[in-house]
Amino acid sequence: MVELERDGEYLKIEQKFTSWKDLLKPVTEKDFKPGFYHYPILKKDAEYLGIPYRDWDPTEPDWHLPEGWKETFLNKFKELLEKNRQFKLFMDICVRCGACADKCHYYLGTGDPKNMPVARAELIRSIYRRYFTKVGKIFGKWAGARELTEDVIKDLYYYLYQCSLCRRCSAFCPYGIDTADIVWRGRELLQSIGTVQRFSYISIAACAKTGNHLGLLPGGIVESLQSAAEDIYDITGVEIEIPVNKKGADILFVTPSGDYFATPHWYTFMGYLMLFHELEERYGFSYTWSTYASEGGNFGTFASYELAQKLSHKIYDEAERLGVKWILGGECGHMWRDKHQFMATMNPVPKTKTLEEPVSPITGTYFENAAEAKIVHIAEFIADLIEHKKINLDKSRNDHWKVTFHDSCNPARGMGLYEEPRYVIKNVCNYFYEMPEHTIREKTYCCGSGGGLLADEVMELRMRGGMPRAMAVKHVHKRYGVNYLCTICAIDRAAFPHLLEFWKLPVEVGGMTELVGNALILSDEEQERELDLRGNPLHKGEE
Amino acid sequence: MSLVYLELFITDVLPYIAGVIFIVGTLNRIINWAKAPVPLKIPTTCAQQKSLPFIRRTWEDRLDSPYTMWETIGRMILEVFLFRSLFRNMRYWLDKQKGVDTRWLWLFALMFHYSMLIILLRHLRFFTNPIPGFLGLINKLDGQVVFVPPLYITGILALVALFWLWARRILCSRERNISYPADHLILALLAGILITGNLMRYIFKVDLYAVKEVALGIVSFHPVGAAVVNQIGWIFFVHLSFVCVTIAYLPFSKIMHFAGVFFSPTRNMPNDNRAHVHVNPWNPPYHGITWQEYYEMYKDQLDEIAENGYKVKPEV
Repeated sequence: MVELERDGEYLKIEQKFTSWKDLLKPVTEKDFKPGFYHYPILKKDAEYLGIPYRDWDPTEPDWHLPEGWKETFLNKFKELLEKNRQFKLFMDICVRCGACADKCHYYLGTGDPKNMPVARAELIRSIYRRYFTKVGKIFGKWAGARELTEDVIKDLYYYLYQCSLCRRCSAFCPYGIDTADIVWRGRELLQSIGTVQRFSYISIAACAKTGNHLGLLPGGIVESLQSAAEDIYDITGVEIEIPVNKKGADILFVTPSGDYFATPHWYTFMGYLMLFHELEERYGFSYTWSTYASEGGNFGTFASYELAQKLSHKIYDEAERLGVKWILGGECGHMWRDKHQFMATMNPVPKTKTLEEPVSPITGTYFENAAEAKIVHIAEFIADLIEHKKINLDKSRNDHWKVTFHDSCNPARGMGLYEEPRYVIKNVCNYFYEMPEHTIREKTYCCGSGGGLLADEVMELRMRGGMPRAMAVKHVHKRYGVNYLCTICAIDRAAFPHLLEFWKLPVEVGGMTELVGNALILSDEEQERELDLRGNPLHKGEE
Repeated sequence: MSLVYLELFITDVLPYIAGVIFIVGTLNRIINWAKAPVPLKIPTTCAQQKSLPFIRRTWEDRLDSPYTMWETIGRMILEVFLFRSLFRNMRYWLDKQKGVDTRWLWLFALMFHYSMLIILLRHLRFFTNPIPGFLGLINKLDGQVVFVPPLYITGILALVALFWLWARRILCSRERNISYPADHLILALLAGILITGNLMRYIFKVDLYAVKEVALGIVSFHPVGAAVVNQIGWIFFVHLSFVCVTIAYLPFSKIMHFAGVFFSPTRNMPNDNRAHVHVNPWNPPYHGITWQEYYEMYKDQLDEIAENGYKVKPEV
């Protein structure tokens, strides 16, 4: 057992081990801990998305599973096995070597052996063995198989929603077993019988309808853009004009909808607007926001293939309607797993006259790595601008920040975006420090709240899951005085302020483009800038 | 007398049963995997992607986040022959909240697998006549330790590594927790093979000419008779039984990872997703709201945006 101090209080992490038999024994509502289980899906969302609904409570013994649930579940299982080679393979080839065990931040933070990635996969593998392999049918428990019962469903519900799909374990697995994929399929199975969490389905339903997770209507988005423009005016004295739903623009910009409202996303949002304004002034850059494709993120990727497809469809649809040349994507984590690995497969790129291979209109750089999907990451875009010296930057405006960079799980392990954001940050800040080697790049730790776990009811799980990251931040905070955690993920920006407060670390959280916005010298800016985007005074030349 | 029948069963029947089960079972597994489509390209990208020309990409980046086919093949070679991902292994010290590189598992796993490979190759000398030259070389290199007969290094290393791997399943609480009976079973079978093999070589020596006759008989489908079998000591039959049982068990066990690793989409697919879009053969059609429906739902607000010339300005 380990006790971690946080400002006089202690957080106990108890690692308990029993035997393999307990791995197969379901954890049920009797053992559900508050702060670890999710609320069930709401009726309106279930009905809107066509998911079977009934009134149930995870803390009650009877979950009122729908009639014939076992058959539905197993039929879905069979279908998924037939349609997904990786799923079938990951069911078969695990040797339980344990390389993944202490790679999971939820396991590290909770000490619960069932949070080891191998154990999480075994939740589903045990059912697979019982119903889809001969050895499991004959030898049962002794072959690691278990009967599908209501208790097993409870077990699945509890633990499949304690994974943030960060894929850290997958980097260490000698066979590349991807727990995120297994959990994704597992949640799809739960969805077939309506036993799913509330949080992400609220956003999925909202996004399916309005085009963004927050359910903002066109008017709301416009208001949001407008107040950001006003904030920019207050700080820079520059009046900017923001194109929305503009046909014939060169580029469609999409970003996670958190940016329209939340803090500290807001400052990154301002950063985008300032950058695009500057490019428009100097180079005639032509872009547009869209209210229809107003969501870059995709909570469907936490739920099922079909829902993921449903949410990302609008982007190409809108690109086609507006007649843009290509798409630029903002800072977001799982959004880039989706945009890089899923979107163009799920929604084939429309063959239109206008959509073309992405070339930066300012530098002429051809983004070869995005040739077919035609979507470029903002870090790639800005890094290219900086390399070609197309924007003027005053690094010293970020001198009050001692910056460290958190590799968000999905751009890291699902895309390989490591150097571009670092290149940008190093060019807009004077003080940049890396966190310890074991906590960055492909070994990066999750914020603890991704993959549909950003719900308030699982706060303790999130705080515990974020422990390894928080400890890494603590390290650089103590050693270098780091006071700014830069991240390129909207969920990170929503999660970290809580996490850092929980671990009592006086470190601010923000995005890469916020730092760019601070450093960016607008060509039509007449006065000397006195405030950063957060309204902090800039003490230039005093240090 | 009845013992001879048992011995003949072990030399003349069991290997064929085991062989058939192994071949049919393994093919069945492989075909079963190959039959299922891969809906998404999901490489785990463990290094810098290929992007802009000024973003440096080292050879390690190319292998851990491959962009071309050759880089992907390179990644697979590293994975299969050098256990690249295990080499990345680390341990988290909870009390210090710190990760440190830990390569013991990698070292012993590599030691075990390579020793087993060389042992298998060494055994080919029983199945070939004349013996190919490279087998003689392996034999010579492996038998450097002076002893009578020369001590095979791999025979000992495999056993040491196996017991290390087993010990961690028994002594480390975390690994004990995730070890099923099946995990112990396969280790026990392999230990049985290695122990009887070593005993046969160094202690209970058997007539190797007769053994070779049995081996050649098996592969040439001319099983030997009682006269040959009678010349061989009992331990050979124990060894061969362990081998046959293990071979027959392989298709039902986790040892299928030897074939599965080649199919793993997080390793065998290039990270060129946006440059070459993957096609999902069963991609369902889109069901959801179209622009037209969206427009009708929020007509007023969308028209207002149009009236303002698709522009938003600050009120200052």
